[in-house]
Amino acid sequence: MTAPWTPMRWPDAWKDPATLALLKGTAIDHLQIGTGSELSAVRSRAAQDGFHVSQPGAPPAGVEIVKGQWPGVKVERRGGGGVSAGPTGNPWVDSNGWAIRLAAALHPDSAVWVDAAPAGNALVTAASYLIAVADSAAYGGRWIISLDQPLAVSLAAGKSDALAVWKRLAAAAGFFAAHKAWPAYAPMAVVGVVSDFTGDNEFFSRELLNLLARAGQHCRILPKDRITDTSFLSLRAAIYADGEPPAPALRQQILAFVAAGGMLITVPQWGEVSGTPIENERNPRYSLRALEKGKVAVAVAGPDDPYLWANESVVLVSHRYDLVRFWNSGAAGSFCTVAPDGKQVVVHLLFYANRGPDSAAVRIAGRYRLARAYTAGHPADTKVEWVPQTGAVEIHLPPVPQYVALELDI
Amino acid sequence: MQTLHTRREWLWKTAAALSGAYGADASLGRAGAPTAPVALARCKTYDPAELLPTMRKMFDQLGGLGRLVKGKTVAIKINLTGSPTYRLGYLPLEDTHYTHPHVIAAAAHLMAQAGARRIRLLESPWSTADPVEEYLLRANWEPRDILAAAPNVEFENTNYLGTAKKYSRLAVPFGGYVFPAFDLNHSYADCDVFVSLTKMKEHATAGITLSMKNCFGLTPCTIYGTGAGIDEPSETPKGGRTTVHAGDRQPSRSAPPEKDPRSPRRDTWRVPRTVVDLVAARPVDLAIVEGIKTMTGGEGPWVDGDLKPVSPGLILAGLNPVTTDAVAMAVMGFDPMADRGTPPFERCDSTLKLAEEAGIGTRDLQRIEVAGASIAEAMFDFAAMRRQRRAAPPPPFRVRG
Repeated sequence: MTAPWTPMRWPDAWKDPATLALLKGTAIDHLQIGTGSELSAVRSRAAQDGFHVSQPGAPPAGVEIVKGQWPGVKVERRGGGGVSAGPTGNPWVDSNGWAIRLAAALHPDSAVWVDAAPAGNALVTAASYLIAVADSAAYGGRWIISLDQPLAVSLAAGKSDALAVWKRLAAAAGFFAAHKAWPAYAPMAVVGVVSDFTGDNEFFSRELLNLLARAGQHCRILPKDRITDTSFLSLRAAIYADGEPPAPALRQQILAFVAAGGMLITVPQWGEVSGTPIENERNPRYSLRALEKGKVAVAVAGPDDPYLWANESVVLVSHRYDLVRFWNSGAAGSFCTVAPDGKQVVVHLLFYANRGPDSAAVRIAGRYRLARAYTAGHPADTKVEWVPQTGAVEIHLPPVPQYVALELDI
Repeated sequence: MQTLHTRREWLWKTAAALSGAYGADASLGRAGAPTAPVALARCKTYDPAELLPTMRKMFDQLGGLGRLVKGKTVAIKINLTGSPTYRLGYLPLEDTHYTHPHVIAAAAHLMAQAGARRIRLLESPWSTADPVEEYLLRANWEPRDILAAAPNVEFENTNYLGTAKKYSRLAVPFGGYVFPAFDLNHSYADCDVFVSLTKMKEHATAGITLSMKNCFGLTPCTIYGTGAGIDEPSETPKGGRTTVHAGDRQPSRSAPPEKDPRSPRRDTWRVPRTVVDLVAARPVDLAIVEGIKTMTGGEGPWVDGDLKPVSPGLILAGLNPVTTDAVAMAVMGFDPMADRGTPPFERCDSTLKLAEEAGIGTRDLQRIEVAGASIAEAMFDFAAMRRQRRAAPPPPFRVRG
C-alpha cells in the first residue's frame, strides 16, 4: 500500500486563489477542486503552484476512494453533549480503518483515500480533525481533508481561532506525510477473515470487519480469490462465514491451516466437519471439534448477527493472543504493522474521545528492544515508561492527544 | 442525624417497624447475633513465600481448614469489580481494587491441601457472559496460574445462567429487608462451603466494602442488571446493577420482586439492605479480607475524589462475615458500631448494623475473639486519611485540550 499524496477537498467558498497561501508549508499536495467556473482561477493557480489537481469524485489513477464516516465517538452539537451508545453501553465509535484495509486488500497496488465530510450535526473541533486525519492515515490511507463550512469561512476571513485549528490539522497531516514508509508496513493479525466481500456476503462480511475492529481484534483480510500458501501464516484463527461452502481448493487450504494448529470459525454452510467433539469446551452457539492439531468451531445457526459473531470469535480465539490491550484509554483502536525487513513494528493507537487519555497504558504482545512514541504534530518523540512483561511490553503513556504511534525495534 | 434521611424513608421505616415487617426484631437480633473468631495477620507482600504460611496460620487459628472443607465443594466469590480495562493510574488492578491473584491461588491451594474436593472460583464480571478466564486475561492476569494452584479448580461466571439449566432460588431466612429471595447462578446453591474472598476498601455508596459487600456481586445482571429481561432473564448481562442501586425497576418477573416497591429508592438505603439479604440467603462460611495492597477513597478508580494506592499489609479471615468485617473496620480505624452519619457511613446505612439486627453476626468487638495480631498492632488508619481527604478543599477543575 502506498500513500503518495496528501489530498484536500477545496472548499467551494474559497473562490480567491490567494487562499492557496494557507496551504504553503503544509503537506497538502493534491487538491480536489469543484468544476464550477467561479473556481477556475483557483484551479489554474493551484496547478501553477505545483499542486496535483483533480475533481471531487474523480480521483487520479491508482487511488481508490472509500466513502467513509466521520470518525470518532458520536457527540451531538446540541442536547447536552449526548454520546451515542453501542449495544454494550460503551460509546459507539465510527472508524474507517476496516474499510481502508478492505480496499487495500481488494486493490493492493492502489492508494486509498477516505471521503468523509463532517456530519451536519457533529461537533467539530481541532481534536475531531486530528481524529479524522489519524483514523485514515494510521491504517495506511489518507483522509481527503474536508473542512466544515464554518471553519472554511473563518479561515478565509483569517480568524485566529480558525487558524489555530488549521495549524493543528496541517501538522497532523504533515506528520503522516513525513512517515511515508509506514503505509507499506504489513498488518499484524490474529484472525483472518475469508470472504468474497460481495453479493449476498457483502453486508455480513464487511460489518464483521467493522465490529471485529471495535472488539479490538486484529484481522487479516483474505479475499477468497487471493488466498496463497502464506495467507494464513502466523494467524491463530480463520473466520469463514460466507453463505455458500468454499471451493474445494480453498477448503483444502483452510483445513491445512487447521491441521497445523489453527482454528476455523465457520457456519453450517461450510459442510461436514471431521474430527472429534471437544467435550470439555462447551459453547451454546458453537459446536467445537478437534481436528488434527487445530480446532473447528461451527456455529449452530447461520450467520445472523455480526456483532455477536465478532465478539464471540474474540473469545473463541481467546484474549490470550491479544496483540494490544488498553487500560484507561476510553474508546480506543489500534493497528499493528511490521516493517518489510521485519526489524521494526509500528503500533498506531487511536483515542476517539474528544480529548486524549491522561494515564493510559497499553500492552503490546511480543519482545522488543526499544520504543519511541510519537504524537501527531510533535516532531520529537514522547517519553514513555516501559515495563517488560512475559512475552510482551507494557507502555505507560503520559497525557497524550488522540493519536500516538509507537515504534518498537525487534 | 434525622436530616440524613428523607421524610419518605423515615415514614417507611417507622411504618415497617410498627408492622413488625422491618427485618428481624432489632433488639433481639443484636443480643442474639452469633459471634465467631477472626484471625488477623500482617503480611507485607504477595510473595507466596510470605503469603502461604501467613494464610495457613490464620486458618489454623480458626480451627483448621480441614474441618470446614474436607471432601466438600467449595465456592469462592472473588472480587473483580468494574471493567478490567480501568486502572488507578498505571497500577495493576490487583494492587488497588481486585482481589489479588496470589491470594486467590493461595486460598485454593490451602483448601485443596485441606482436602477440598472441588474448588469453584466465582465472580459476576462487568457486563459480560464471557468466561472468567477471558476476563482475567483482559486484566493482564494469567488464569492458568490460578487454575494450577490446586487440582479441581475451576471458574464460573455467575453474572448469568452459566452452565445450569435454571437459576437457583435462595430465600432470605429472616424475610429480607428488600428482597425475600433471589434467583442466582446455580453455583451459589451447588456448594457445601461458601467463601467470600475480597479486598479491603472504602465504598462510595456503602461506606465500606468487605466480605459482606462482596456478595452484592452474587446477583446476576441478567435478572437484576440494567439490561435484565422484563419477564424472563436476558441471555447475557449488560451494564451494572443500577436497578438494585436505584430501584428504578423490578428484577425480571421470573424472579421474586421486592417486598415493598414503595420503600426508599436511594442507593445508600437499598445497597446495605440488599447486601444483608444476600448474605442471609447465601450464608458465608469463611470470610477473607485482603488488604495487603489496596486503595483509599473508594472501591475503584471510577469513584470521584482523591483516590490513593496504599499498602496496609493486612489480611483477615473469619468464620462469620459480620465479625470479620467488624474487625476489618476496626483495623481500618473505623468504629464497627458506627451508624448512619458517622464515618464511614456518613451518607448510608451500616451494613454491619443491619446484618447484626438480622441476627447474622455481632459487630461488637468485645464479643469477638481476635487471633494473631492485635487490632492496635495491625491498625492502618483509613479513617484518618478519610478525615484529611474530606477536610481538604476540592481539587481545582482541570481541563486539558
